[in-house]
Amino acid sequence: MKRIFDTGNAAITEGAIRAGCNLFAGYPITPATEIAENMSRRLPQVGGYYLQAEDENAALHICNGGSIGGLKAMTATSGPGFILFADAFGWAVSSEVPVVIVNSQRVGPVSGITGAPGQGEFYLSRYLTHGGNYETIVLAPASVQEAYRLTVRAFALAERFRTPVIVLADQMVTDGWETLELPETDDEFAALGLEVVPRRINPGPEFYPASDEIDVPPVVLGHNTGAACSDWTPTDRGHDTEDITWQHKHAWRLIHKIVNNRQLIDEADEWFLDDDPEIILVGYGTPSRVIRSAVGEARKSGLKVGGIRLISLWPFQSHLFTRTACYLVVELNWDGQLVREVERAAADGSNVHFWGRCGELPSMAELLDTVRQLLDNEPLQRDGWRTEKW
Amino acid sequence: MVARIEILISGFGGQGVVRIGQILGQAAVNQGLYTTMLISHGTETRGGYVRSQVVISDAFIDSPVVENPAYFCAFSPIAYGMFKHLCNRQTVILHNPNLVTADPASDACHRAIAGETLAERELGNAQYANVIYLGVLSAHCGLLVPEHIVTAIRQRLPERSHENNIRAFELGREYTL
Amino acid sequence: MSDLLETYVRPEKNPGTACKGCGLRLAHRNVLEAIDELKLSTGDVVWGTGIGCSGRQTFATWRGDTFAGTHGRVYAMATGLRLALPPEKRLILTVGDGDAFTIGFLHLLNAARRNVDMTVVVFDNLGYQSTGGQYGVTTPLGSRTDSSPYGAWEPNWTQGGFDVLRILKEAGATFLARHTVLQGHEPVESLKKAIGNRGFSLVQLIYPCVTHFGVQALETRNIATVYDWFRERTSDDLAADSNTHFTTGIVHDAAGSRPEFSVAVRDFVASVQKGGSRGGTN
Repeated sequence: MKRIFDTGNAAITEGAIRAGCNLFAGYPITPATEIAENMSRRLPQVGGYYLQAEDENAALHICNGGSIGGLKAMTATSGPGFILFADAFGWAVSSEVPVVIVNSQRVGPVSGITGAPGQGEFYLSRYLTHGGNYETIVLAPASVQEAYRLTVRAFALAERFRTPVIVLADQMVTDGWETLELPETDDEFAALGLEVVPRRINPGPEFYPASDEIDVPPVVLGHNTGAACSDWTPTDRGHDTEDITWQHKHAWRLIHKIVNNRQLIDEADEWFLDDDPEIILVGYGTPSRVIRSAVGEARKSGLKVGGIRLISLWPFQSHLFTRTACYLVVELNWDGQLVREVERAAADGSNVHFWGRCGELPSMAELLDTVRQLLDNEPLQRDGWRTEKW
Repeated sequence: MVARIEILISGFGGQGVVRIGQILGQAAVNQGLYTTMLISHGTETRGGYVRSQVVISDAFIDSPVVENPAYFCAFSPIAYGMFKHLCNRQTVILHNPNLVTADPASDACHRAIAGETLAERELGNAQYANVIYLGVLSAHCGLLVPEHIVTAIRQRLPERSHENNIRAFELGREYTL
Repeated sequence: MSDLLETYVRPEKNPGTACKGCGLRLAHRNVLEAIDELKLSTGDVVWGTGIGCSGRQTFATWRGDTFAGTHGRVYAMATGLRLALPPEKRLILTVGDGDAFTIGFLHLLNAARRNVDMTVVVFDNLGYQSTGGQYGVTTPLGSRTDSSPYGAWEPNWTQGGFDVLRILKEAGATFLARHTVLQGHEPVESLKKAIGNRGFSLVQLIYPCVTHFGVQALETRNIATVYDWFRERTSDDLAADSNTHFTTGIVHDAAGSRPEFSVAVRDFVASVQKGGSRGGTN
């Protein structure tokens, strides 16, 4: 392994290159600009193409176009660009196109604050396009090292599931500098549990099987297979149809290829859950690292505290919340997003609390204060959006 | 060896806040340690507020948040005002007395160093002040081997400035607190 | 025509579902004729479409590989696809006037700027007809449509001294032509040049919509009357008055004058891989 000191942006770039990415189209935006810059330097070195798109909408469409030509494509952005993906994201979902999308979350809504972290796109990443009838794969790195690993994984999952995969990072992960270990040999790469899934070409004529199977080769144009792909509801051949039965088959596939094979996607860290935790802290991304420190510190003082860190966000891992407990969900937003999903998933009799803030990570001391208040049944000093007043 | 050490650097854009963090982090990696550095910046242009939170440890670092800084390089009154509350008796605050006046209510250990003046006098450019502070920090802290820091300076700074920056680093190390 | 359809069109898509009297069939046939006269086979062409009448009627008609983009974005998709295709593969997009000149114009301009090798054929039915007939940027001024019940008055891009093709010329397109589908073989000749150009080509093909434009703007359902109106309005002289005529011909032919984008990108990548770099600001 090569041990270096670099940013999440660099880690994402190296992960993408290692995964065989050969097309990046993007539009500069803080704090994801460095991914574009790094790709503009690295891609030509490995024979890949870097394009600066006219906007994010074009960026993801260029990626989609490259992908249906057989390239492995990626784009990267932050909130204001992420929202512009709606159109192209839907196309990729429906046409089952492998593509990787990185979003470094900052403070919103709209331009908000550029250089500070947020976690405001938990739900948007799930429903990045309109119309429903689909599931989404979203992975959330919490460190520079994990940004590398999950970028490689995103490419593999995108190929296997024939779908866009979102890497939902935050400003602290992408801008942050950290020790990064890069595999130098194939063995080291495999030892990290990583694989590169090469692009295969669907020979047709059944381009859109009405099944939940994965590892179906994607539609690739230019090989005279009679491939057809579009924004319309497809028949199995890819022809446009207004037949509601085909629509049902298509939707069933888009949903069930993911949920029925979710064991390949699901990933989480669990801390002290088997040791009767009275309180379970929950989070993803950079805040989850503070959670882990807080849980460790709490255990040192004899407090029965556990933690859950979601590494894959969608499909949501409801099965992690089947224990009746007091959950404290920590997020970098004021409105509470992940907490709503935890409330929905938590076993009957659970109490679900929210610790939210934007732009600044929680400190371990702040989380431990809240944990003590909950353990002592004290009213929370602040309970997210519920009691906060200016 | 070293469980966890936290260093906070904050000031205006253009003062080398991120550079110091990068050199410290790179030196830590050169020395086989783990390190994290969070960067916060309010605006995309020079003159804005910038903060580096550096954590160094011999094991993987969970929380990258600096909440008990061993060192705080306070390069602007705004930065000092914002983060002095994190500092305690164990914290050493390095500051330029011309820019930052020590709060008498703070029980942290304040060390006034006229880095800019020294850099101007010895190297003809106040820009080298940040590396002087780095030298002072390095001499006081003792955690990072100076050779690794010099290597990190060579890795992270443009070649044409290596000589002056290494000189600045030595000036800092020789500085008598 | 029947031979052409057998050779190039998927049987399940023939006949199409266009309205009675729709001129889109003629436009579609013009493209197939050009392909045929260039002796291209189904494997030589990848065919993309946009949204609207043109997309609905031409998507997946091509026996070879085919795709349809989201509304207005097919030019961006084609830019990415072009990088993946072998240079000799022809990329033809049949799109509507709304798709190309309004919702997708930003992407169209940037495809022209890059000179990406694609042939955009704009099937121009003078407005938004698939949604029932609303005015667009090629709808003649004064036309009554469902969204201009008092007559279209917003400035458009074909009259009043404007020509959308001139904007594309300035943007860097290397082949531009305009025809109506009532000009016999003329549009086919331009389409052949467009498809032959290794760069960004666009042919605006104006065709009659009887169902909406005919009924709303020309106040007739009579197919012959609608076609006569289009025929009379068609001028072979590009310098004719565009307020009263569809001025047709090759607007701009600069084939080969600029590097094609995918070729340029490949050259650039090869130069980087050889250790070269491109300095300077020229």
